[in-house]
Amino acid sequence: MTPLLELTAASKSFGPTRALTELNFQLLPGEVHALVGENGAGKSTALGLMYGVIAPDTGSVTVGSQAQQFRSTADARAAGVACVFQELSLAGGLTVAENIFAGHPRQRLGLVDWPRQRTDAAALLDEFELDIDVRKTVDSLAVSARQVVEIAKALSLDARILLLDEPTSALAPDEVDALFAIIEKLKARGIGILYVSHHLSEIFRISDRITVMRDGRKIATHHTAETTEKEIVSQMVGRLATAERVRNKRPIGEPMFRAQEMGLPGIYDDLTFDVRAGEIVGLAGLLGSRSKLIARAVAGLLPPSVGSMELGGATFAPRSLRDAIEAGIAFVPEERKTEGLFLGESNLGNLAAANLKRFRHFGLFQRKAAAEATQDAIGQLEIKTSGPEQPTGALSGGNQQKVLLAKWLETQPRLLVLNEPTKGVDIGAKLKIHEELERCASGGMAILVASSDFHELLALCDRILVVRDGRIVGETDPANFNEDDLLSVASGVQPAPAPDLEGSPS
Amino acid sequence: MTIAISSGQDRSSLLEKIARTRELTLLALIALIIVAMTFASPHFLSVANFRAISIGMTPNAIIVIGMAILLASGGFDLSVGSVMALSSTVVALLLLAGWSIPMAVAAALLVGACTGLVNGGLVTGFGINPLVATLGTMSIARGIALVMTEGFSVSSLPAEFGAVGKASLAGLPVLFWLTITMVIAFDLAVRHSAFFRQVYFIGANERAAALSGIAVSRVRIVAYVITGILAALAGVLLASRLMSGTPTAGSGLELQVLAAAVIGGASLKGGEGTILGAFLGVVFVALINNAMTMLAVSVYWQMIIIGAVLVIAVALDMMMRRRAG
Ligand SMILES: Nc1ncnc2c1ncn2[C@@H]1O[C@H](COP(=O)(O)OP(=O)(O)OP(=O)(O)O)[C@@H](O)[C@H]1O
Ligand SMILES: [Mg+2]
Repeated sequence: MTPLLELTAASKSFGPTRALTELNFQLLPGEVHALVGENGAGKSTALGLMYGVIAPDTGSVTVGSQAQQFRSTADARAAGVACVFQELSLAGGLTVAENIFAGHPRQRLGLVDWPRQRTDAAALLDEFELDIDVRKTVDSLAVSARQVVEIAKALSLDARILLLDEPTSALAPDEVDALFAIIEKLKARGIGILYVSHHLSEIFRISDRITVMRDGRKIATHHTAETTEKEIVSQMVGRLATAERVRNKRPIGEPMFRAQEMGLPGIYDDLTFDVRAGEIVGLAGLLGSRSKLIARAVAGLLPPSVGSMELGGATFAPRSLRDAIEAGIAFVPEERKTEGLFLGESNLGNLAAANLKRFRHFGLFQRKAAAEATQDAIGQLEIKTSGPEQPTGALSGGNQQKVLLAKWLETQPRLLVLNEPTKGVDIGAKLKIHEELERCASGGMAILVASSDFHELLALCDRILVVRDGRIVGETDPANFNEDDLLSVASGVQPAPAPDLEGSPS
Repeated sequence: MTIAISSGQDRSSLLEKIARTRELTLLALIALIIVAMTFASPHFLSVANFRAISIGMTPNAIIVIGMAILLASGGFDLSVGSVMALSSTVVALLLLAGWSIPMAVAAALLVGACTGLVNGGLVTGFGINPLVATLGTMSIARGIALVMTEGFSVSSLPAEFGAVGKASLAGLPVLFWLTITMVIAFDLAVRHSAFFRQVYFIGANERAAALSGIAVSRVRIVAYVITGILAALAGVLLASRLMSGTPTAGSGLELQVLAAAVIGGASLKGGEGTILGAFLGVVFVALINNAMTMLAVSVYWQMIIIGAVLVIAVALDMMMRRRAG
């Protein structure tokens, strides 16, 4: 079978960083080919070559039987390549329909054919069985819905080659199922799909072949049926895979945070829960459950109009994120690119941005202390970067996420609130981050984490609050719960266990 | 104008909702000024005054079309006033040199297109900030106009050249009809043509636009060229009305036009605004100026008041949006 797309000995450097070294890669018609590797292994760079965003230094890209010199994404699209990016690439102020057909609107005689564009956009979204109004602006959608729009946008091209860079990093389990159903359909049509993900379970479910990358090189390509997760992981990290993390029992203290019948009409309602010192509490919810908005509420971004909050025993009524930070909260947002990081700034600058007080001495910025703290964080979280001075924007997606986390851990908050803390982070680093969070909790920090990755919540949390429709519908003890149980409670299939409002964790 | 408002685009898009309410708000304010002034001054509601206003605002109304497109793309152009002056002197000098009217006009428009090309090239090719790039061409274009004329106005133009500037149709100046036609045509084009919709993507998220296969640089350059041509057209019409080329015309016009566009719903951040809104912004400012003149407010005070109106309009808008968002 002739490959749809082929990379031949492709190399690419960014200054001193060798992102890709002599990469050979083939995508066949009708296959789902997974590309895996640690953060910074070069996966996104490889996709960039195939989509004309990046030109290879040496080597070539072949589409069909023709060697291609993509000078822009427009060239790649013309050759039948579509791509979903790791970072969202939508225009927020424009409608869903316009975004889906960005760059190739439905038109007649040079005029946009609005009705047809809306119908076609709605038809693409229909496959997700999601109620997204195509006339709404993208700004007004939740991150996961935006991700779906992004996927629909790629599908709108009718491409023969579909590149997906961590398409599920913001999706809840039911959305992942919808995406996989679509992938199966596309496969049957002979479309070749390149699938980048850090979720090995997903990869083993959907892929036909797996290519493992490490440090910009290809290590091996396997038929999925003939390999194991263990083999893949050890090839990714270059040593024998470490065993699962052992969970240590931590002493749990007094409630650090308490919400009393907290509500904001239309967003969340009647929330009563607490997070104790030393405790990690999860917020689990499917798409549209608004679990992440609850995390934002605690961080002062969506203050309640009824009910009350308490932090460390005192009334806590933040009107803004600033207030919340002042009171001793740190908030790690979901959208690292728009809400969390200054991509043009150095790692040091990003870390210092939330910690200016700490690194100030008689009004002067203590650059050396900040650099040391940054270097520590780089070591702690194994951030792959040339050092504190490298611009964060030059890091791979997963490594940016680690910088974001380091920035807020550095503030040593009383209550740490996180939305999707390990979005786009590789398995090894994920364990590291979980260990780091546990370490912080052991020191008495209270942690509230919202994630659509239920597996992560079960591995990390002492207690999980299940959210549906902006309400807490159940509370579960991860010890006697598995992912399927959690999913069925979250979707409302199974009645929720009676919420234990006192929240005694042990 | 109602045609432009009610034609069938994506109705419930937030962006257009805001823009449309802005248009309605402006229309209401304009009506308010007209009613108030009718009582305040007996000379206000007269054909003569209306003719004066519509002729006076012609350059701004034509140029604001280009400025609104640029603002939507996340750019702007400070050279428009100078380009207008340059084109008015070019057309006048060429006519004096014996060129035919069509040739002289075409040459003047070409000058506008070239300055637009230079602006667009500087911004996209060299990545120079639009503020710096167009500030540079603003100074250069003004300088060329002054050098060519040694600072004097160029008059004694052939009488036929003044025809357009002075002619009337159905009791109103031809300039007025021309402006209205252009505003409606561009408003519809920007709302509905596949080409101009790209402008909003670029303004909202340039990187995303590029990744969606939009030729960002090309669209940006076209927007600057259109603006240059419109500024040149305004210069030609000005020369025709005044029967002279004026190298000092239009100083400060770039800020008036920017202010009007922002009052009309455009944003310096890009991605928003409509031509109709920007045009209503120009009408609004022109009416306020006219009202103040009628009420014998000093010119110096007029500057202060227009500045205050701009700041208040934008501040109100920001407040409303924060509440909505
Ligand atoms: N624009 C850039 N400038 C400098 N270095 C870059 C740039 N883009 C990528 N790199 C570097 O190239 C290497 C590979 O990055 P890439 O984004 O391809 O990794 P990745 O495999 O996609 O990782 P992740 O799983 O974290 O997304 C990294 O070391 C990264 O720092
Ligand atoms: Mg990546």
